[in-house]
Amino acid sequence: MSISMIELVFWMIAAASLLGALTVVFTRDVTRMALGLGVFLLSVAGWFVYFSQTFLAAAQVFVYVGGVLVLVLFAIMLVHRSGAGRPALESRHTIDSIMVAVAVFVLVVSALQDVGSALTVTPLPGSPDAISAALLGPMLPHFEALGVLLLAALAAVIVISGGERS
Amino acid sequence: MSLVYVALALFCIGLYGTLTRRDIIAVLASVEVMLGGATVLLVGLSATSNLAGVSTPPGETSGVGLVILVLAAAEASVGLALMLAVARRLNTTRIDELDEVSG
Repeated sequence: MSISMIELVFWMIAAASLLGALTVVFTRDVTRMALGLGVFLLSVAGWFVYFSQTFLAAAQVFVYVGGVLVLVLFAIMLVHRSGAGRPALESRHTIDSIMVAVAVFVLVVSALQDVGSALTVTPLPGSPDAISAALLGPMLPHFEALGVLLLAALAAVIVISGGERS
Repeated sequence: MSLVYVALALFCIGLYGTLTRRDIIAVLASVEVMLGGATVLLVGLSATSNLAGVSTPPGETSGVGLVILVLAAAEASVGLALMLAVARRLNTTRIDELDEVSG
């Protein structure tokens, strides 16, 4: 059985994202968790390149790897600054949680059975001018609502982390 | 179909982490994994599928992806700010110690 180049790329990105996700969920070291999150977020950008959404991939790298990951590392350094021992993350692995996760997987896979078999692998390229035409055309309400949401989030972050004024 | 399996596996790994992790920052990271899996599935299906003859207009796939990206970034920043506030006031980031509604 021969594997085509595009399938090889697919499974490489899949392996990277699954590895990153498993590291985030199962590691006990907080810096390794941040590293796994970085691998996962970069692999999501890889998925976007695989689907020919190159602008989205660039935005993912800028916003997530450049923004959110730095924010996570910043929070780790601010909070987990205890002593000599490296901070360990604890988990409570129970059979219930495994059952919930597996049940959701089975449920959604069975629900999407028809959708997946109807896939045609012809990616539509998402060029920046097409994106701007979409964002300022049919998606204008979403675009405006996002602006309001970002302003609200910014104000909330400033209020929450502003410290006590006493 | 393997795209559906991989994206759902990512989502369910994140779900498992969200249920089992005890530290707020690890729960937030697991939520990011869930969001990432859902985004991969949404963008992947939108970019490649041609369901019932209705194809997505060009640009809207990336547009939807950008909307999710911004929502997730706002969620992460507000969550981390809440974690910093909790850590500063109560001196803990373990969610099983934060079981009082009135602090």
